[in-house]
Parts: sequence; structure tokens; C-alpha cells
Amino acid sequence: MNSEKNNKMDQILNSIDQIGRVEAPNFFYTRLKAKMEEALPSESGVRSWVFRPAFAFAALLLVILINAAVFFKGAVSDKVAPASETEIFQSIASEYSINSNLTYEINQ
Amino acid sequence: MIESELIQGLRNGDETAFKYLVENYQDRVYNTAISIVHNPEDAEDVAQEVFIQVYRSIHSFKEESKLSTWLYRIATTRALDLLRSRKSKKRAGFIQRLFGEDNEPAIEIPDFYHPGVALDQKENAAKLFKAIKQLPENQRIAFTLHKVEHLSYQEVSEVMKTSVPAIESLMHRAKQNLRKILEKDMR
Repeated sequence: MNSEKNNKMDQILNSIDQIGRVEAPNFFYTRLKAKMEEALPSESGVRSWVFRPAFAFAALLLVILINAAVFFKGAVSDKVAPASETEIFQSIASEYSINSNLTYEINQ
Repeated sequence: MIESELIQGLRNGDETAFKYLVENYQDRVYNTAISIVHNPEDAEDVAQEVFIQVYRSIHSFKEESKLSTWLYRIATTRALDLLRSRKSKKRAGFIQRLFGEDNEPAIEIPDFYHPGVALDQKENAAKLFKAIKQLPENQRIAFTLHKVEHLSYQEVSEVMKTSVPAIESLMHRAKQNLRKILEKDMR
């Protein structure tokens, strides 16, 4: 009885002695690539987005607009007459609550 | 392709090198994974994760071991991680059922029939794989790599980063434990 049990156990233990290697499923590489594109989108995604013509054109337009805005703003501010020296002194005096006579004296 | 060329190609992001790696190692990785997780879909997931990890961390591979050793190491680690996460989910499900949140009956896990086993050994191998699943992790990995992947003790010791005598001891204990488990099942 005991030897029968031992025999059975040996049969079970030796059942995988001749086991073969299982092959990976068909199209494993294709599915792996798809998963990788899902799992690693940041690298390739950003690169493709940056080099898209629409993005490049929009970026170029933005640079031109910023340049134009800076150029025209400078042109407008050049046209404003510079404040006189008295006006500058008066504005400083009023800001720091200094008697305006003092500025008058300085001007004298 | 020589291994050093393959590694260099992978480091350069060469797609041909990556395809060569996958085509040459996919069966070894998949076979190891299915022998541990006992499910074809999970095994494919594990195998995919292994190659994604290789792609990501090839720059940190120090070439102190063979590429295949490194792949086996990642495959066994990933497979065990998956089993651990399944186990913790199962535990959470059990607690839910215990407190009456979910009254659905537990799903019986069917016997695992390894596709590489000969038809006349199918039933016995299913009993053996069921018993292997009850072994401690290190004994399970050593037994699987040696008996299913047919790696030598030297190769298993390199995968598990231990010595050959340690693997001999693990194998001895694994066989003893399998006998105990099978004896209990035969009663």
C-alpha cells in the first residue's frame, strides 16, 4: 500500500521531467510594441507634436506678433514728450509729502 | 548577433536590436512566466512588462551577468509581484465577503495544465503544479527554473544571486515539501 503511494508520488514528481518550452503567443512583438507606445508616450509623443507643421507655424506667428508688439509700443512711447525737471521734482515732493516751496527754492 | 553588440544596439535605441532580443528571448521569458503565474494572459502581461523594463533600464545593466540571466531575474520578480498583488486583492475580497459587502461566491481556480506537458502526464503535472504553488517563493523559483526551464544549478544560482550549494539546498527542501504537500492531497 505504502509502496503504491510512493510510486504514485514519484510519477507525479517526475511528470514534468520531459516538459517542453511553451512558445510565446503569435504576434507577441506586435502587441508588445503597441503596449510600449501606450506605456511610453511622453518621449515619442512630444517629439512628434513639436515637429508638426501646424505647431511650427503657430510658434513662428507668435514670435512675429511679439516682435511687432514690442516694436510698435516702443514707437508710441518715443512720441510722448519727456517730463520737465520741475514736474519730476514736484511729483517726487508730493509723493514724499515735502513742501512744494522747497522745490521752488531749489528751482530758484 | 554577439551579446555585446546586442546590448550596444539596445543602448543606442536600435529597433532591430530590440526586435532581435524579443524574438530570441520571448519563449524563455513567457515559459518562465506561465510556469509561475499559471495563466496564459497573465504570463503574456508579465513577458511584455519584462521587455519594457529591459528597454527602459538597459543603460543600468552592468553586464556582470549574461543578458539571459538578467531577463530570467526580471521575469521571476515580475511574476511573483503579480501573484502577490493577486493575493492581496483576494484577501481584500475575502474581508469584503466576511462583512457582507459582496455576497457573490468565490470563483474556484481551475487546475493549471502547462501546455508543454505531454498529454499522458497532464493530470499528474497539474497536481504537481498545484503543489509547487504552495512552496515558499525561493524554493518555487529554484524548482521552476531548474525543472521547467532546464537551467543548471549554476545558472539558477546566477539568476537568484546566490551560491550553487544554496540552490542544492533549496532544491532538496523543495522536493521534501512537495512530497509532504502531495501526501496530504493523496489522503
